[in-house]
Amino acid sequence: MSPVLRTALFGTAVGLALMAGPALAATIKVGVIAPFSGPFATAGQTFKQAIEVYQAQHGKTVGGDTIEFVFKDLDQANPAQSKALAQELIVKEKVGYLAGFFFTPDALAVAPLIDEAKIPCVIFNAATSAITEKSPLYVRTSFTLWQASVPLADYVHKQGVKKVITAVSDYGPGIDGETAFKTTFEKAGGQVVDTIRMPLKSTDFAPFMQRIKDSGAEAIYAFLPAGPTTLAFAKAFNDTGLKAAGIKFFGPGDITQEPDLPALGDAALGIVTSFHYSQAHDSAMNKAFVAKHKELFGSTQTVTFTSVGAYDGTHLIYKMVEATGGKSDGAKAVDAIKNLSWESPRGPLKLDPASRTVIQTMYIRETVRGADGLINKEIAAIPDQPDYGYKGGK
Amino acid sequence: MTAAVTKAPAGATAAAITAIPPRPSRAFRDAVAVALIAGGGLAAYWIFPEDLGLLTRILATCLYVLSLDLVLGFCGIATLGQAALFGTGAYAAGIAAVHLVADPILLLVVGGVAGGLMALATGALVLRAHGLTLLMLTIAVTQLLQELANKLRWLTGGSDGLSGVEPDPVLGLFRFDMYGRTSYLFALAVLVVGVVVAQRIVRSPFGLACRGVKEDPLRVAALGGSPRGHLVGMYTVSGVFAGVAGALTAVTSGIVGLDSLSFTWSAEALVMLVLGGAGHLYGAVVGTVAFMGVHHVLASTNPFHWMLFIGLFLMAIVLFAPGGITGGVARIAGLVRRRAP
Repeated sequence: MSPVLRTALFGTAVGLALMAGPALAATIKVGVIAPFSGPFATAGQTFKQAIEVYQAQHGKTVGGDTIEFVFKDLDQANPAQSKALAQELIVKEKVGYLAGFFFTPDALAVAPLIDEAKIPCVIFNAATSAITEKSPLYVRTSFTLWQASVPLADYVHKQGVKKVITAVSDYGPGIDGETAFKTTFEKAGGQVVDTIRMPLKSTDFAPFMQRIKDSGAEAIYAFLPAGPTTLAFAKAFNDTGLKAAGIKFFGPGDITQEPDLPALGDAALGIVTSFHYSQAHDSAMNKAFVAKHKELFGSTQTVTFTSVGAYDGTHLIYKMVEATGGKSDGAKAVDAIKNLSWESPRGPLKLDPASRTVIQTMYIRETVRGADGLINKEIAAIPDQPDYGYKGGK
Repeated sequence: MTAAVTKAPAGATAAAITAIPPRPSRAFRDAVAVALIAGGGLAAYWIFPEDLGLLTRILATCLYVLSLDLVLGFCGIATLGQAALFGTGAYAAGIAAVHLVADPILLLVVGGVAGGLMALATGALVLRAHGLTLLMLTIAVTQLLQELANKLRWLTGGSDGLSGVEPDPVLGLFRFDMYGRTSYLFALAVLVVGVVVAQRIVRSPFGLACRGVKEDPLRVAALGGSPRGHLVGMYTVSGVFAGVAGALTAVTSGIVGLDSLSFTWSAEALVMLVLGGAGHLYGAVVGTVAFMGVHHVLASTNPFHWMLFIGLFLMAIVLFAPGGITGGVARIAGLVRRRAP
């Protein structure tokens, strides 16, 4: 077939499809790429469950169009595979939206694709600030390390703490967190006495604890990816007597995410974190969200920040479908939700028109023992926090 | 079936053997294999026009597993560090694409040279060891390189991955599009060229000498050959192949991640090679296509529990076809040939 003929045929087909669009009720597919197997399967599971909770509460149709979710498993950070999956979703499944993405490189990999296919991509988790700079069609409903660390640094300073040491895992998000905390804390007049970067896979933290002890800091700012490393770090912090010595433990809320709390046990008590969602958040909407989750899945142990990321992401997809009347117009869809404000289980949200990351309340929480085990109890709320890392944050 | 064969009287077996038609020449069979790969690749292009993203990944992986076959199948070097060479090629091509050149073919050259140099440098060192020690050293090299890539954030993007690899159109004519048509055909061409070159190498005196080293290094030394020299040579050749495969992945996917230098990626290559059958080049292609194809079908049928089924599939292959798929097919073909009147 000659290219001219092919283009003509394609044009006709698109034209017909556009004309037929508003008249027919269609199925709009959303492709979700996330880890559903392997060590990070819990994250994908929380995405899927939150989507189901949202659909149970709001129905599966928008203006006559049915929204259908297609799930693709990407068990670890693997950008090349992420791109191949996205390609399949776009070309074969003909999805109108991409969503999910737990790891930053996987989200970055699809930028050229969404630009070419002109479809919006809603990031449920990946938290490096730079992602949304790569394409105007990225929208993020999670958070960034900057967003969590800047208000925490202010809070720590206001508590009268003068000397802090930072200890982060040596990879992108860890370094983002360290930079954000250090910049803000020093600007406020505090002193960061030392910055420790720990290998991502290390599980023996005794040497680092010794360094923390010797540094004479009154508090630490720590960030490690959720999971076994965090457990080992928190346990080492207790066992080496740093907690008993009165050194305070601060960090972004990944380290005390709800699914890890039972395993952390008493080691988590007293850790103060800043984050956008706690399962214990006191609002009618959150109670309804958690109750629906319990009704559908029998347990609420996995309800955590990735759940609300997916829940709010689904909300935005519904809003975009509504704004475009089910037609495929990525730019119009994203334009329609810029500046959108809405109420989420985590509290009030607004989409920042520039960074397309949500502006949200950051809560300072302390891990305490509640009626059914450990909870992240909110002790302070700092409203309207944008992504401080968007352009120039670095 | 084995019982039937052993029961046959000796005279009958001898008669059957003489009745076998003369085997076609090696060169002819090599040409047929290349034609099959090219033909199969083109057929897949028409049959699965909507799966080109996955198919492109399979082709690049074929080349990567082929590079492992060169050292494992032909030299008997047990390595779990092939990802080090693949990743070096991928990052070299990625960095070159971001800062220097954008021509896809030139990028493959960059990847191949980088992979080859890395293999030469590390091979000269680690190939002094044998067996388990060698295995450990290859793992160590991979881990070191991965950590290096993680640390050099300004250059490699660290754990965020190196994005922004945007190659020019192939030969200035064919743009890399969303449907992956260019990527696929480009990858197929590279793989076919790769297979032809690999055939020439393993059939060359150098390739045969490497086989000799695999069978009996002492004897090669006694004949005046240099076993280690041959091994390092083939390891370097393999590095070039792995580097080109890495560059091909970088060019077609537009991003390079730390996973390309991971232990898992090395191990997966080994699994695919064993699945296909080591030591005759085509096992690498067959094993990769089978593994990634089955992986894809299972993962899209059930994205939540597919790993269980892929485990069962691998166990079945290891139990019932220890020589891999190509080994199993050859065995069955041999039986059929022998029983044919």
